[in-house]
Amino acid sequence: MMSNARKLAEVALNEVSDSIRSRRVMVLLALYMAGSAAATLLFISFLRNIEAQLMKSLGLPESANAGSVTRQLWKSEVFRGTVAHMVRDRELADRLLSIPPLGLFYGWLSATFSPLLVILTASVRISEEIWTGSARFVLFRCPRLTWVIGKTAGQAGQMLIALLLSACAAWVSAWLRLKAFDAGPTAWAMMLFAFKAWVYSLAFVGLAIGVSQIFSSPNVATAVGFITLFGMGVVHGIAAHARQPILKETAQTIELLLPGGHMMDAVWRFDLPHFISGCAFSIALGIFYLGLGYMFFSRRDM
Amino acid sequence: MRLALEFRAVRKKYGGRVALDGLDLQVPQGSIFGLVGSNGAGKTTAMALTVGLLRPHEGSVHVLGNGSFNPQLHAGKVTLLPQDSRLPPHGHVEELLRYYAALQGLTPAEQRENVDAMLRWTHLVDRADSQVRTLSHGMARRLAIAQAFLGQPELVLLDEPLSGLDPREAARIRSMIAERRGRQTIVISSHILTDIELLCDHVAFIEQGRLVRQTTVANATGRASLAVYTLRNGQLPLERIKSALPGCEIEWDPAMRVLSVRSMTHEHALPQINQKVCAALFDAGVELLEIRCGSTLEQAYFEVTASQMPMLPPPPRAGVDRI
Repeated sequence: MMSNARKLAEVALNEVSDSIRSRRVMVLLALYMAGSAAATLLFISFLRNIEAQLMKSLGLPESANAGSVTRQLWKSEVFRGTVAHMVRDRELADRLLSIPPLGLFYGWLSATFSPLLVILTASVRISEEIWTGSARFVLFRCPRLTWVIGKTAGQAGQMLIALLLSACAAWVSAWLRLKAFDAGPTAWAMMLFAFKAWVYSLAFVGLAIGVSQIFSSPNVATAVGFITLFGMGVVHGIAAHARQPILKETAQTIELLLPGGHMMDAVWRFDLPHFISGCAFSIALGIFYLGLGYMFFSRRDM
Repeated sequence: MRLALEFRAVRKKYGGRVALDGLDLQVPQGSIFGLVGSNGAGKTTAMALTVGLLRPHEGSVHVLGNGSFNPQLHAGKVTLLPQDSRLPPHGHVEELLRYYAALQGLTPAEQRENVDAMLRWTHLVDRADSQVRTLSHGMARRLAIAQAFLGQPELVLLDEPLSGLDPREAARIRSMIAERRGRQTIVISSHILTDIELLCDHVAFIEQGRLVRQTTVANATGRASLAVYTLRNGQLPLERIKSALPGCEIEWDPAMRVLSVRSMTHEHALPQINQKVCAALFDAGVELLEIRCGSTLEQAYFEVTASQMPMLPPPPRAGVDRI
């Protein structure tokens, strides 16, 4: 009898190869790479404009090395103090400011947009197989749980590849446009953030596949995925900005059950205890959402 | 009798609608078993319940003598050709079959051997590298049939297997299914009763989620006990036939010129009846147009299910034009 681990690997591989065959993964990669390259170029233009305005205001000649003023600003004590005030942690601020600006920008970009793209691509993966009936050719050959976990693993694998490639695209864009550019440290920072964003997005992969198990219509599954994501954003907003203490505390408590409540630890902190805690929560939440969906899926009529 | 599949008082509802209402069914091992019933009778539901795609509300389904379906236990031993399900459109024919074979637990060498055999069997060798979405309806149906026979499963469930196939392919698949008699248990659901009659040795009539009758096809049609003669010209020697076959029920329809002889005892086997009737007819110079063993399965189905479907008008007789 074939072991479940081998079946799981077969399903995961098929998930990736099906995405390649259907060009779905190509669209996903194109979105990630084009999105990160375009955003990086926009960010560089923005930096250049700021630098030009700054030099003009100070009556200094415009620097030929785009990015050099930003580098100086990055090292200034005033700016460090501002960032420390924003993150309410001097040590963290110093750690963040040791990362090249483009690396930080990529971290923000990947952590902000990967959940959206995960919902867009992963929330239809099971529902469309229920919708077309193609799941019926598989589910008498493979336990439902193995199939669901295999598909989740396939989606997670695609995400990692997409994030690493998007980091490459962002780095190449910066390399082409910026002369004052710490190529090595920026590349390292981008790869690190790609990995961190991937771990953080595992919670959303779990959410998307969880939703996909409940709804047989791919369109409904996608819509519910986005509505859930929007709801999480609202809770995050209340937790961060609400003035009423009760509302704020309630939202902060709820946020512990949401990936956004652990983004700081998973993505932005670098000390091992916080990072491990953030990763553990992201993965645990992913499993939790997946499990909620599976509770329904394991009993559903196919 | 060893059973490959057994339904015990199975009840299944979709919302408020009852699909199976205490269905009892026994499928003998090694048989080709036909499921016959009108639309919504519960045939597809019964098949989906067998492989665990649906769960019964009451009763139990026993598969291969090992309790209810368990993918850990039965993967590769029980397969299904679903009726209206689409294969993954972007999958390539050969890769898809290999994927299914791998999930059934076949080794890479067995996968290659089985997939090659199935591609040849279903005439899809030249489309092995094609994507499913590029196949015609009939080809996709053949691919779906191929996946159901991967790895020589012990129990194969085929829901409307021949629908959408051209006559040549349908005949070929039919004969290939028939060749598996005794080696595999095959359950076929079809509205094409001639297919069931040609292929199956057992049949169950299901209506409104209940078993109306389960028997052998020979019994259902009277193939082993009824001979029907269609005559042309000449005076029928009815008295001579009656005296030659005392243990038989003899009916003569002078309008249609149809003579029916049914053996009521084991005294007269069908070949003996045939010999005596033909001798009497030839001696009397009666022209014989057709000899048929038994009635059609269609007639048997109408007769058996007549009481179950009182609201429906009786079907027209075959071969009679309606004006």
